[in-house]
Amino acid sequence: MPAWFDAFTDAIASGDQQYLVCETCGHGTLPPRQLCPACGSTELTQEPLSERGEILSFTEISVTIPKFHGETPYTVVLAELDEGVSLTGQLRDATPDDIAIGDKVVLGTEPHDNETALITFQQAED
Amino acid sequence: MGTKIASAASTTYGKHPNSSSRELLSEAAVKAFDETDISPGDLDAVYIGNFMGGLIEDQGHIGALMADHVGAREAASVRIESACVSGGATFCQAVQAVESGDADVVLAGGVEMMSTTDIEHVTDALANAADDVYENEQGLTFPGIYALMARRYMHEFDVMREDLAAVSVKNHRHAVDNPLAQFRKELSVREVVESKPVATPITLYDACPVSDGASVAIVVSDTFAADHGLETSAEVLGTGQSSDALALQDRAAISRTPAAERAAERAYENASVTADDIDVAEVHDCFTIAEILALEALSFYERGEGTRGAVEGETAADGHIPVNTSGGLIGKGHPVGATGIGQIVELTKQLEGRHPNQVSEAEVALAHNVGGSGASTTVTILGGE
Ligand SMILES: [Zn+2]
Repeated sequence: MPAWFDAFTDAIASGDQQYLVCETCGHGTLPPRQLCPACGSTELTQEPLSERGEILSFTEISVTIPKFHGETPYTVVLAELDEGVSLTGQLRDATPDDIAIGDKVVLGTEPHDNETALITFQQAED
Repeated sequence: MGTKIASAASTTYGKHPNSSSRELLSEAAVKAFDETDISPGDLDAVYIGNFMGGLIEDQGHIGALMADHVGAREAASVRIESACVSGGATFCQAVQAVESGDADVVLAGGVEMMSTTDIEHVTDALANAADDVYENEQGLTFPGIYALMARRYMHEFDVMREDLAAVSVKNHRHAVDNPLAQFRKELSVREVVESKPVATPITLYDACPVSDGASVAIVVSDTFAADHGLETSAEVLGTGQSSDALALQDRAAISRTPAAERAAERAYENASVTADDIDVAEVHDCFTIAEILALEALSFYERGEGTRGAVEGETAADGHIPVNTSGGLIGKGHPVGATGIGQIVELTKQLEGRHPNQVSEAEVALAHNVGGSGASTTVTILGGE
């Protein structure tokens, strides 16, 4: 994985995850970017990103790519975090029957195959 | 300057285990040359849409390779890659080369060999269309991305699983009569819903198959056509092209396709027509949900109404807006880089009145081709001669 993603997931693991906010238009985005995708400004600053979000959609994957061979079925969640940016990650400690669009989830990360990091989501407790 | 289609042809789409990209593309080219007075030596340029040649056949530099194999070794050549809209983008580039005055005759081709490897490796190659780090490396597959869109759409508009399946049933029915199609067998809603799970709610028969095939369209300037007394097959009325964030998570919306909306708006404006003027359309139904989103992006239906097309029979070959009379990607097959040109081939036949699922009085036709899960889209509008 590229170094920028390792830095991004390391920050999630230590609880001080960040996202990028455009000084010009306020648009929030994920690293790494030099230009705001909404307005083209180069004035992007790092701000703290909440670990809490809401499920936008999810799917249980049965046919996968070689990297995840033997791991099916597993569930991928697309969640919008409180700041309005969305992330894709794998559901942990629940099955697709336990969740619904709109449910609250908590962002996490874990190693995969002892080399790369995965984004994960767990159901929020409250 | 006006642009015409001199001729257009496809190989059969399906499994061609003993063939190769160069054989398929040149077979389609020979069929296209057979139907026009243009010869390979007339080609100023050869543009080839191809997505995964480097991944499956270990072959890059496909523009020059194919120019050589269509008898135009000295023509300008380039391979154009934009995932599943490689073909549509190739056609747009060919039209622009002619409209700019830089070229008079361009061969716009597309080719893909996919069936010679196993399903996990094809799924892996297709995943190259998505954001590798934020999507693929998280375990999200290409069908999985469309599954996220489908579930969200069903949630927002209270759509039933069976409503998605109706698209597959309709397109399989159309494919039965198309001799170029991969699947020539009818399916029921129940067979679609109960087929093998891929990525919930998407099952095997919601998805297009793995296909090999090639398509070619020979594009000419109207002055060249007039000077050489060519009988042409169709006229290019307009094209539109737009992009969006590669990753679904970065898009403004996931239950609609903004790039397709923008491409359609530009194409309609460019062609000076509206959605009401379209008599027949080929749209990018890589998954059933994709056709529903296409119908809405093209303004054939209001948001949330797109399922009506297949469920009510309105998009059937005898409906009021026939869509995918070829069988679409689901029924005809989806050799990725060929698909956008294959749509042009099918629509040209409709405009000439010789399509196996002929629509009566087809005068204006539309092709909608999508790359990845919607990060790039072309819309092309053709008129009859
Ligand atoms: Zn901005």
